[in-house]
Amino acid sequence: MTKRFSTSRLLSFLTYGVTTSMGLILFIYPFLFPALTQKSTLGQARLTEMPLLITLLLALCLVVLLYEVQGQAVDTKLIALLGILVAINSALRFMEVAIPGPAGFSPIFFLIILTGYVFGGRFGFLLGVLTIFVSAIVTGGVGPWLPSQMFAAGWVGMSAPLCRPLVNKLDGEGKISEVIILAVFGALWGLGYGVIMNLWTWPFIAGPTDQYWQTGISWVEILQRYGAYYLITSLAWDFIRAAGNFLLILLLGAPTLIALRRFKHRFTFTYRSSDSQGSKLDQTGDAS
Amino acid sequence: MIHTWAWIGWLISALVALSITRNPLYLFLILLCIALVGWTQERRLSSESSQTQNLLPFSPFKFVLVIITLSALFNAVISHFGETVLFSLPEWLPFLGGPITLEALAFGAINGLVLGGIFAAFTVLNLALPVRSLVRLIPRAYYPVAVITSIAITFIPNATRQFHHIREAQAIRGHRVRGLRGWLPLIMPLLVGGLERALGLAEAMTARGFASSEGGNQTSQTRLGMVLGLLMLFGGWLLRLIEGGQLLGIGLMILGITLIAAMLWSIGRSVPRTNYNQEIWRFRDFLVLIGSMGVISAFLLPIPWIDQSILHYNPYPILNLPGFDPLIGAATMGLLIPIFIIKPK
Repeated sequence: MTKRFSTSRLLSFLTYGVTTSMGLILFIYPFLFPALTQKSTLGQARLTEMPLLITLLLALCLVVLLYEVQGQAVDTKLIALLGILVAINSALRFMEVAIPGPAGFSPIFFLIILTGYVFGGRFGFLLGVLTIFVSAIVTGGVGPWLPSQMFAAGWVGMSAPLCRPLVNKLDGEGKISEVIILAVFGALWGLGYGVIMNLWTWPFIAGPTDQYWQTGISWVEILQRYGAYYLITSLAWDFIRAAGNFLLILLLGAPTLIALRRFKHRFTFTYRSSDSQGSKLDQTGDAS
Repeated sequence: MIHTWAWIGWLISALVALSITRNPLYLFLILLCIALVGWTQERRLSSESSQTQNLLPFSPFKFVLVIITLSALFNAVISHFGETVLFSLPEWLPFLGGPITLEALAFGAINGLVLGGIFAAFTVLNLALPVRSLVRLIPRAYYPVAVITSIAITFIPNATRQFHHIREAQAIRGHRVRGLRGWLPLIMPLLVGGLERALGLAEAMTARGFASSEGGNQTSQTRLGMVLGLLMLFGGWLLRLIEGGQLLGIGLMILGITLIAAMLWSIGRSVPRTNYNQEIWRFRDFLVLIGSMGVISAFLLPIPWIDQSILHYNPYPILNLPGFDPLIGAATMGLLIPIFIIKPK
């Protein structure tokens, strides 16, 4: 049993490690090319096949990671919970599409971050991925950008539990410091999401190859060029998203965390089959 | 009317053609074909009064024109290559100062055509396929994901309706949304109501025997196989970037994709699926697929009597007229086949 458990954990660790690092490399590949080869035929390759290839690779990374996460994080109760939360978040995104907010503001990250923080990284990952997927289906937003958006939103939810050590250190659970930490985390992801999504499109729209993607130019120079591009085109847009995340979590975070924690307890009922102690639902926690 | 997989074939052929060529004549032709198919599809949808698929608050084809214009302007402003100078921006402007060239404008417009074409192709797919067809595309191996997606899609109208009810109820109590804090009395009842509903649904699902909480159909072999397939795919991609590693890279990538597909197929076999509305593959779907394959062949396969070098085009350093091979142009018309099949009701 222990051996099986450790093999399973090892495989899980391997899958998370491989898919996350590959996803990261696929996003930052414009910076890695000079390091890969000095004599590659990259310029031409990028022009012809790279956008679709990157989309394919990202989609398959997501396929493998999703398979791993769904097996470990999802049981009957969580399927129902995820379905409803995805519906609520998609409805919020639908309203955002119908009545666009200022610049990059989006109400969806608020719930992804708080749910990932309370229910765990895997649950947060699934909520992020499926919110983007379902809302894309409903609003007609399916496109080659979808795997990147799903990946990035999944990372937002998956990384939310990283706030816990800091919250624990400050003994801030249930206090305003917890909400502030999560709000700052949301603001950072507001910018991070934009940076990641730009990385997906930047190499294909930025300009002629010899200006933006010369093989052999230093990382520093590529970073400078990307920095300039980001500064001109995206910073203001992403700043609104970051500010929106910060304010939403700051103002709505505390009651939402209380509600999510209460329902986390209520969702801990277990089912005992009839061959053990008779068919019954044993509900635990603070449900009454 | 057209089978889902025939539409997928059509989409793939449009994407392959768009990603291979930078010749603006072919790009324009592809975009024209996509726009015509989209227009026909829109006409069909508008003739069906109950059909409300196009939920975007803007016209996707006007949006494509915006993409092309913005891309051209953006590239002209930040890229100062090319010999045909139209005018110059002051040098003291950071990042933007320098000559504005016709070539940079053309290069940006070509990029915009590619991006706009990809967007338009997906828009047509979104118009053509109902939500249930898109959900049905989720592989059987992702049974839990498919269930979550189905629940979410079923509950979205409910959540939207509930939101409106809450807003009306709060308005009767004199509540007005002033700033972000004003959203609290709207969002919290929506969230708590949704969570209550989720609890009820979870209990109902458990009571009906939907209680597989042991990791489902995952085995060590399938998990390892998926990761190995991904590593092969990634290794192949890296090899393709290195001089001389192209062939080995392609081989490794195909092997990786095959391994992942085989794993998914093997997992999916243990998940039974029933369809209430079974899609039937008809002759017309076959025609759409043939047209799509014709496009892919003309753009991708080394056919002796087709000059594929004409597909590559670079406006730098001085703008010149792109070439045009009528055979490739004729093959591109394969994208138009859905027009003859889609009939307005």
